[in-house]
Amino acid sequence: MEGFLSTYGSAIVQMALAGVLALSLYLPLMAGQLSLASPGFYAVGGYVAALLSTRVFTGFPNGSYPILLIALEMVVAGGVSALFALIIGIPSLRLRGVYLALATIAFVEVLRVFALNQPWLGGAVGIYNIPQPFFSATRVEYLLLALPLLLVSTLFVARLERSRIGRAFVALREDELAASAMGIRPTYYKVLAFTIGAVLAGMTGALNAHILNTWNPRQGTFDLAILILAYVLVGGSRTFLGPVIGGAFLVALPEIILREVADAPGLHPAIATFLRDGRLILFGVLIAVSVFFFPYGLVTPNLFKRRRKTNVPRLEAAKAAPKVSRG
Amino acid sequence: MRLSNQSLQQYRRLWWFASRGLAAAALVLLITAILTAPSGLQNLFNGLAVGSVYAIFALGYTLIFSILRIINFTHGAIFTLGAYFTYFLTGASVGFNGLLANQRLPFGLPFPIAMIGGGLLAGLCGILIERVAFRPLRNKGADPLLTLVSSLGVAVAIVNVIQLLVGAEIYSYPRNPFGEMPAALNLGTFGGLSQRPVVIRTIQVIIFAVSMATVVLLTYFVNGTKIGKALRAVAEDATTSSLLGINTNFLISLTFFISGLIGGIAGTLVGLSVNVSGPYFGINFGLKGLAVIVLGGLGDIPGAVVGGLVIGVAEAFVPSEHVAYKEAIAFAVLFLVLLLRPQGLLGRAAVQKV
Amino acid sequence: MSGVSLPKRLMVFALVALLALAPSVLLVQAAEEPIVIGVAVAQTSNVALFGQEQVIGAQIAEEFFNERGGINGRPFRLAFADTGGDEAGAINAFQTLINRENVVGILGPTLSQHAFAADPIADQAGVPVIAPSNTARGIPQIGRFIFRVSAPVSLVAPSAVKQALKMNPDIKRVAVFYAQNDAFSVSETGTFQQTVKDLGLELLDVQTFQTTDTDFTTQITNVLPLEPQLVIISGLAADSGNLVRQLRELGYKGMIVGGNGLNTTNIFPVCQALCDGILVAQAYSYQYDSEINNAFREIYKAKQGKEPPQFSAQAFTGIQVFVEALSRLDKRKPLKDMDLVTLRAELRDEIMNGKYDTPLGPISFVETTKDDGTPAGGEIVQERFYVAQIKMDPDGKTGRFVFLD
Repeated sequence: MEGFLSTYGSAIVQMALAGVLALSLYLPLMAGQLSLASPGFYAVGGYVAALLSTRVFTGFPNGSYPILLIALEMVVAGGVSALFALIIGIPSLRLRGVYLALATIAFVEVLRVFALNQPWLGGAVGIYNIPQPFFSATRVEYLLLALPLLLVSTLFVARLERSRIGRAFVALREDELAASAMGIRPTYYKVLAFTIGAVLAGMTGALNAHILNTWNPRQGTFDLAILILAYVLVGGSRTFLGPVIGGAFLVALPEIILREVADAPGLHPAIATFLRDGRLILFGVLIAVSVFFFPYGLVTPNLFKRRRKTNVPRLEAAKAAPKVSRG
Repeated sequence: MRLSNQSLQQYRRLWWFASRGLAAAALVLLITAILTAPSGLQNLFNGLAVGSVYAIFALGYTLIFSILRIINFTHGAIFTLGAYFTYFLTGASVGFNGLLANQRLPFGLPFPIAMIGGGLLAGLCGILIERVAFRPLRNKGADPLLTLVSSLGVAVAIVNVIQLLVGAEIYSYPRNPFGEMPAALNLGTFGGLSQRPVVIRTIQVIIFAVSMATVVLLTYFVNGTKIGKALRAVAEDATTSSLLGINTNFLISLTFFISGLIGGIAGTLVGLSVNVSGPYFGINFGLKGLAVIVLGGLGDIPGAVVGGLVIGVAEAFVPSEHVAYKEAIAFAVLFLVLLLRPQGLLGRAAVQKV
Repeated sequence: MSGVSLPKRLMVFALVALLALAPSVLLVQAAEEPIVIGVAVAQTSNVALFGQEQVIGAQIAEEFFNERGGINGRPFRLAFADTGGDEAGAINAFQTLINRENVVGILGPTLSQHAFAADPIADQAGVPVIAPSNTARGIPQIGRFIFRVSAPVSLVAPSAVKQALKMNPDIKRVAVFYAQNDAFSVSETGTFQQTVKDLGLELLDVQTFQTTDTDFTTQITNVLPLEPQLVIISGLAADSGNLVRQLRELGYKGMIVGGNGLNTTNIFPVCQALCDGILVAQAYSYQYDSEINNAFREIYKAKQGKEPPQFSAQAFTGIQVFVEALSRLDKRKPLKDMDLVTLRAELRDEIMNGKYDTPLGPISFVETTKDDGTPAGGEIVQERFYVAQIKMDPDGKTGRFVFLD
């Protein structure tokens, strides 16, 4: 067990963080918004933590950086991300479906190019030597921070889902017109969902800057956006547990599960070699297969009940035709 | 926001005039800029050249969207596959890495035929991908968003299969595959303030011409032929059209084939211009391609070309001292256009259902 | 059993005896169980072009040094772990090698950005790391256990510009291109631009691009009207090759100096005949005449059918440093008497104190310090740098680097 933890410490921590990132995309989706902005806020959060810990809170010998300061950085990163979310969200959230997805991706790309061109953000190399709170060669101690973040986020979203706000989100997703007729202000709730998601992504970025020890413009890009979307859809987009499970599963699959299977004793050497070299081929195939066998995700709200297919409403977000209201 | 009918109409008319006015003003400004800037014409041609690469990538991409209303993430991988197929059909050998190291086909085709062969093979891959990643989900009646994930999975698999088989090295085609041609055309020096000779690479002219021809053919195919009419019926309502005796599955397979064919040939042409840089060759165009088809109006075939050219030209006119921000400017333009005209440049606004 | 004839019984007996003996044979070998050296480079993702060259270099070293008796007669084995294209993957690969494979040291990772994430893990675990291709500033300063065999470019770049001036003393007007999203190219272009200024040349324009870019027409047509006589490029192979090709196709006739990223035969297929004449600053030249380089070059050519690139040579060198340091250490203090933690710590000091005759030429390491003055890892001291000119064969497919002095 100890060997397992020290070998996969970092991957396990990344599993937890993937869950939080998936929740940050799940929140706007709850309100019917296909936003791919999470990597942008994640990048912002990482830079906030990197700057604060290397420029402001200096003077701690390596391995003794106070955990409280990391928590503080996460709070600041969440705040800055929320600010960005308000600025980006209010104009763009009237877009729907793929158009919103693209607008949010545009935001992510603009941020990336901006960071690349800023000497104070370290340009292409980024910021490195981010101080460490733990004296350790495994990153498993970071679970002390990552697990609470995941737990608090999950509980928060779980509570939210059952609250009036959560029901307003779902009402917006199912039928915006009917919801607004019932007195639910679409813009308010959409921006709210978007901003809470941004805070989660920003905090994740802040924590990951410490875990990775470095932050650069390659963190939080289009590729990550698509990956997070896969976390949510593979896990299930109808309950908070879906994204959490999906994130953990898709991180573990190439980094832990497939590696362990390849190392399993008694495997024919040719098969083991293929498992090792073709790890990512299998990863791709398994993603494709999983949505076929679990079209509603690995976790569905009524996991233990048989459900009728026709009862499942389709996601508004995928509908192509943009609905522009001008009046 | 309750407006009376009359003021609503006034508002609409005002918006109509305002938006057309703004567009006209922007166009006039652009033309003036092109004609007066020292390298305006050159920049314009550069932009059209780069833009036609975006456009030719986006054409097959947007075709599938126009029929199925889904984004096909494997398009970048198909584009790559087409380029590799052409390479091997010319009889050239695999590099020194990968399982197929140093293998080659026992025959070699002349380049133009190899290119068409590469396109056809890419088209067949398109059909195959439709069968494994799209049709099962469609038959289940699953959320269309899920095809995003299944096609992503297939794309990841394809890229890594390529790497496992033929390695990550750079592959390039023979020089002058279409016979002796100059590498670049000098269009001469133009009058006015543009006193510099305008040059353009020949392969870029070819790509531009091919993308123009493709968009014309494709538009005719979709709007002017019987199969095209059936395709549009499928796009409108797949269930009803299959009730009317249209073979929906066949038409969708056909769409994927044509999309793959265009993508494969596009991959080869772009590979001629900039070499096949490895298994991620086409994937690298994916994000820009997505921006292009959204900008043009999702699923609008001429829109894909317009979107590609607009982004290409916008990038080319970024002043050289700010060229580092080029990528950002393309996406900033996209963001603004989306805010002002959410249906894209050529897309039609769907009326909000009440 | 009664139906089984005697000879068959004998055979069964023999078989059983053999099976029973086999483990004891294995046990004898267990004492001589190979030493494991880790290799963590990018075998997948879009960095794999470089990663696969490093894998080949390391594999050649494994074969070559094991044939020569390994570590004083004890064989060694390479354990590979794919870093993929991101920092988290690099960390995972390092952790797997350190904790699962129990390696004595690690060669890797491919990119400097990944090194900033993964190297601290190895440093904290007390595992020596040799970077085969990290050239960014601050790599050995990550920690005591971090070394590199990839020289920072500030030493290599100026000589190429001087060579260009030697070949054409009339050069005055210079334009610079660099890949802005690549850490290595950014630091290299800084050196190039400083050299241009120091030599009193006129820096007309600086254009940037991305390593993922494929079309450079805009940047080129911005520069060509300024009529440069020398163009200096810092980028990676695919992008720089395309840039050279498009420069020539659009009518540029002057000289081209390429940075270290162009020091690979990988650019030959990209710019083909148009590669001809590029001056390249090199940290490795396959024409360097020494016993070890000639041996390495022969094996590489036999396997790959072309001249070895710098990435492979540096990976080979990294493994060589590990093997020679381990052999010296073993003579001083037998490796089998040490536990892994001690072995790794001793190995670190042994690497630092040695001199190595490698395909890169004679190298050694100098101890660096962190900003706060505490001791850090080893920076390479490399005696030989090269300037070569690319000469393409008439068919435009094959070519070579011609060594200049």
